[in-house]
Amino acid sequence: MSHKHDTWGWMLAVDFFFAGMGGAMLCIAGLVDLFGNQPGISLVGNFLGPICIGIGACLLILELGRPFQSWRVFMNPKALLTFGAWNMFIAIVCGLCYASFGIAGIPWQTAAGLRKVLAVICLVCGLVVATYPGILLGQHKSRPFWTGPGMISLFLLSSLVTGFAAHLICGLTTGATGAISLPGAFNGIIAALLAVQLILWTGYVWGKYVYGTSWEVSATRRWVNGDLSSLFKYGFLLLGTLVPLILFLWGGNLEVIAAVLVLLGGLLMRRLVIRGGEERTWLPGEKLYYARLPAGDEDFLKAWDNK
Amino acid sequence: MPRYAMVIDTRRCVGCHSCTVACKIHNELPLDVIYNPVITKGPEGVFPKVRVEYLPLLCMHCENAPCINACPTGASQQREDGIVFVEEDKCVGCKACLMACPYGARVFVPSTGVVQKCNFCMEQVDLGEEPFCVKTCHQKARIFGDLDDENSRVYDLVNRENAEPLLPELNTGAYVFYLRGWEAKLI
Repeated sequence: MSHKHDTWGWMLAVDFFFAGMGGAMLCIAGLVDLFGNQPGISLVGNFLGPICIGIGACLLILELGRPFQSWRVFMNPKALLTFGAWNMFIAIVCGLCYASFGIAGIPWQTAAGLRKVLAVICLVCGLVVATYPGILLGQHKSRPFWTGPGMISLFLLSSLVTGFAAHLICGLTTGATGAISLPGAFNGIIAALLAVQLILWTGYVWGKYVYGTSWEVSATRRWVNGDLSSLFKYGFLLLGTLVPLILFLWGGNLEVIAAVLVLLGGLLMRRLVIRGGEERTWLPGEKLYYARLPAGDEDFLKAWDNK
Repeated sequence: MPRYAMVIDTRRCVGCHSCTVACKIHNELPLDVIYNPVITKGPEGVFPKVRVEYLPLLCMHCENAPCINACPTGASQQREDGIVFVEEDKCVGCKACLMACPYGARVFVPSTGVVQKCNFCMEQVDLGEEPFCVKTCHQKARIFGDLDDENSRVYDLVNRENAEPLLPELNTGAYVFYLRGWEAKLI
């Protein structure tokens, strides 16, 4: 039945991951440039930010029912999705222009004023791109696990921590451009963000489960002791947050492994959040109705349509 | 300009699913698309006081429709008479409206890549007719009309019989109202 397709799929989760990470990478590069007087963190890192947002945008297009009509998402200024699409577009263009300043011998490399302007745009648009999935999900009154402002802080935090981790990997593997000493400068920041992430996520799930509406309690049960609980507890909280937190605090030259775990944790978190949105403000008997509809009938339906 | 609304008297509904079938046939819906399911609440209670309630669902044509604000292409629209509909040529199948609707009234159709929904049979309504689900209901459990018309039955049922929308706490301003209870009345 078509009701099987009534939620967003894994591609949107991967889009949120890449766009959030890329947005945060742009934001961090802009911050370092404006307040640290460094031309970003690494050339690869500066380019990877907008490229990641681009990858996210491509996945978003593939998720659409009519990908070739994707230009239409820019058309309704009242919709949050349209706002997000424009921000992603601006962030990609300005991010690539900003990163190009790191290429040796490029004619506009000495235009420091232009670079600062682009750094400001990258900072603002990057922050918006990193935060906007949380705003988008949080406004859904119909999805009990998402609804409320909590998602905003969770997504912003995850975007920042994955952005820092991605910059760290790029800087350590390809060489930092400025005078920033990696990993020394980032270890403490990432560890602090991971600690906050651990506390906020535990608090969010606990708050929804204990103080939420009946729909919120029902939706959160999947995270506490349902089908999402193992991946949430052992995959995201333990392997994706606590283990890298310990590795960063320990500082035993395992920063790259810790950063990769952070990225995997961020990806898993978004997949779990999208799956958490499968729960709606169900009416009594509604779930039972849809459960009784035929399953595994795709071949029959296809043959029927082609008849 | 009228403001169309529907009242569903669940006390009269016997759960025959005729409205579901009529809707599918007259709107020529694909085999796997249902605009107005009839869900069953219950049975509840202990014999001899056992109760079952049938709850026909459809698009609520909300005043503050969250689906319209969510749509990035402007495909989801609302007419002046309150009917919410999808302009399929503009729809890109992003499912934003589908995720925003608290009533599950929208269906994504993979074969066309667009989202479809009940539109109160607006072509029929424009001809002065009633939606097919209303015409079909032999129990007269569905009542359709202009809520701004003080002489209409819909106005009477909403204002005097206290028909209420589903999920009022979400403040969507639904324009499908339900009369719920256990005593059937002749109307």
